Amino acid sequence: MTDATAPSGEALNIIQRITRDYSPLVIAMVSLFLIVFVAGAVLTDDFLTWFNVKTIIRDAALVGIMAIGLTFVTLSGNFFLLSMKEIAALSIICFATLMGAEWNQWGSPGADPTTYSLAMTFLVAFAATMVIATIAGALQGALIGLGGNPIVVTLGAAGLFFGIGSWWSDNLVVSYRRPHGAEWLGTGSFIGDIPNITVAFVIIAIVAELTLRYTTFGRQVYLVGANRAAGRATGHENFGMAIKCCIIASLCAAFVAVAFSGQVSSAHVNYFSSEFGSSGDMTIMVIAIVMVGGNSIMGGYGSTLRTSLAAVFISSIDNMMVLNGFNSGARVLAVGLMIVFSIVVFALVRRGSRSVE
Amino acid sequence: MAAQPLLRLTNISRHYGAIQALRGASFEIGRGEVMGLVGENGAGKSTMVKIIGGFDHGFTGEYFYDGEVRHFKSPTVAEQVGISIAQQELSLIPTLSVAENIFLAGDGVPVFASRGYLAKKAKPFLEEVGLGHVDPLRNTARLSVGEQHLVEVARLIAHNPQVLILDEPTAALGETDSIRILDMVNRLKERGKSVIYVSHRMDEIFKICDRITVLRDGESQAPRAAADMDVNSLVELMLGFELGDMYPKRKPVTRSAPALKVRKLWPDGILEPISFDVYPGEILGLAGQLGSGTSEILGAIAGSTRTRGGTLNYKGKDFLPSRPKEAIEHGIAYCSEDRKYDGLFLGRPIMENLSAPALETISNRGFLSGSKERASTTENAVKFTVDPKRLPQEAGVLSGGNQQKVALGKWLSISPEVILVNEPTRGVDVGARAEIYQILRGLADQGAAIVVASTDIQEITNLPDRIISFYRGVLVGELALEEMTSANILEQITDPFHEAGIAVSGKAS
Repeated sequence: MTDATAPSGEALNIIQRITRDYSPLVIAMVSLFLIVFVAGAVLTDDFLTWFNVKTIIRDAALVGIMAIGLTFVTLSGNFFLLSMKEIAALSIICFATLMGAEWNQWGSPGADPTTYSLAMTFLVAFAATMVIATIAGALQGALIGLGGNPIVVTLGAAGLFFGIGSWWSDNLVVSYRRPHGAEWLGTGSFIGDIPNITVAFVIIAIVAELTLRYTTFGRQVYLVGANRAAGRATGHENFGMAIKCCIIASLCAAFVAVAFSGQVSSAHVNYFSSEFGSSGDMTIMVIAIVMVGGNSIMGGYGSTLRTSLAAVFISSIDNMMVLNGFNSGARVLAVGLMIVFSIVVFALVRRGSRSVE
Repeated sequence: MAAQPLLRLTNISRHYGAIQALRGASFEIGRGEVMGLVGENGAGKSTMVKIIGGFDHGFTGEYFYDGEVRHFKSPTVAEQVGISIAQQELSLIPTLSVAENIFLAGDGVPVFASRGYLAKKAKPFLEEVGLGHVDPLRNTARLSVGEQHLVEVARLIAHNPQVLILDEPTAALGETDSIRILDMVNRLKERGKSVIYVSHRMDEIFKICDRITVLRDGESQAPRAAADMDVNSLVELMLGFELGDMYPKRKPVTRSAPALKVRKLWPDGILEPISFDVYPGEILGLAGQLGSGTSEILGAIAGSTRTRGGTLNYKGKDFLPSRPKEAIEHGIAYCSEDRKYDGLFLGRPIMENLSAPALETISNRGFLSGSKERASTTENAVKFTVDPKRLPQEAGVLSGGNQQKVALGKWLSISPEVILVNEPTRGVDVGARAEIYQILRGLADQGAAIVVASTDIQEITNLPDRIISFYRGVLVGELALEEMTSANILEQITDPFHEAGIAVSGKAS
């Protein structure tokens, strides 16, 4: 009986609850991160301006949305999809091709496009992209659910998706004319000067967190992730779970692809390999966010809220370093350090928490 | 004691954070003595063993070995002076041969040694532990679990220890392998070695121990001669109060309409298809040693083990579940023998564990209802005497007994009418054990049909209303309540066809 004599019950203030629920190591790490953050914020000129804060969250949005999708896969104990950027690459080619396709222009030829015709073009392209992403996710999920090793399956799938995308586009940039129906998502803003992609990020983060906390599906994600065998024994099988979670991750990747294409009015299979974040590789960046958020690699522990906060955190550190004139090498180093640090801390904490009788 | 004890610990205290694992406990063992170390889960047995073996050096108190004060910094140092410890978990490398495993540490053999040379050197140690018939060059993975435990001990003996600590050596073993372990302990004793024997099994303790040390809440009782005690007085010492009768009273069962008919069920590991009925209100016992096929039968009924064929007839419907989900939908609950593997979500709160099989009953259109979940899990927690205040805690922090109660208690959430339980009390202390028996009996009295498989001979004799016995995948026979004596059962599960000539009568308690 190694039961901690934790104070349980009602009247606890916030500090007592934090010290009860989290180990000193985690509290120390989060405090350290916060101190670095605050120090950086104070010492960096132009950091705490409205414009810069908007930029930070906006930068965090695209990788953040993908990381939220991937968090479902990780929490359900199915490790990572190493094909995130390839799913996005296939999706962006699909979306851009359909946006520019002759048959998908709904206005009368020669005339200026109306709102209706732009919306129809966008909806068809968007729907087709989502269908492709769903198939991509379901395929990987089914293979993982049948017992395939997630690393091998998703590495293989990555090659498959990238190959299809680059064959389809002849490895060229696919561009389409402005005005087009995706501008609102790529660069527009409905609420004041807050970009719509930022709003989408916030909405997706909230919906994902609520799903995990308050739905039967969310509970199943945690249970299957915590112990797959016990999940099967209590009627929650990983086969369906892997498919659902991979579809969620794929849809998030496809959504990001659509939003990005909307920004630049074009697509290329290499967009997500070179243009993203400090490390330059979308998949690595997304996995980094999930890890820095402290989600357990083995599944069953973590949340999308942590993932969202980690996305904003990494983005602000990156931004701070840019403003202070660090080159990209130093920024990659910083992200790497954060990952190593949080993995080590959370590994130590987990080892201590499961007592043996 | 006239002679000075070989090993003596006095006034040992050890705390982990706020938890006081040992408070001023003492322990001693003489040369050539078998000392039993007993206590409930959490009484401090493991801590004591760790301190003796040098795994834990953050204690206060005196440690004398061979008349000298010692404070081992690591298990390696303790091993060098002659204290070896056989852990519950095996630490063999399954892909190496038996001989290679025995000389894994590499001492006593030249740097370059042929396999034949190792085999020759390993042979005497194998004979010592009663494995003379095993080829030392055999792959370790091909031995039974019991034999592997014996190989582990052979490896320790190769270091020529003076004190050997066996921590629950028979917890995972069937009756025949357990007897081998006990024989080995007796041989070691004859050769003047001291053995510390930690076990939950009362019958073994009384069979082989000279003296017994009882730990309770981190405090020790002075060792007493085993001959002066009986099971009841020992349990009383362990619990601090009298237990009364551990096994609840049986009520007469009217067997009219079976709750579940099993027909021609043929799981892997069973030689021929088997059929039997379970009636509402009874506890049916499946008796058999490890590997006799009882686990496979329960697993097959619950859909978690592969079957070659067969049908279940339950509430007028014929079916055979191919996955646990189908069995659960029919209202069949199955609690497996390994709660850490597939019985519990250790990292998740107790509340989530208790509601896991019945998420649809606590949710509306896919949304969880917090109040419904709290209400139903609190009710089940109270039934299983788990403190409802602990519901938000991780299941992993519970003691073994409480974990088993949660693993079993989660099935009440689906209101099952057939409950299959494999090894209901493995690794569970005496107090929780009695509670689990009471609960199972209570469920049966309310009309549930319960099937219990167990390798614990006391449990299988005293808990069920009826027994079906198995031997190496063959259904041996059925015993009605009047015929259920330990001797009868032991004969049926160890040697039903009188092939081995093991004298069974002497081993029945």
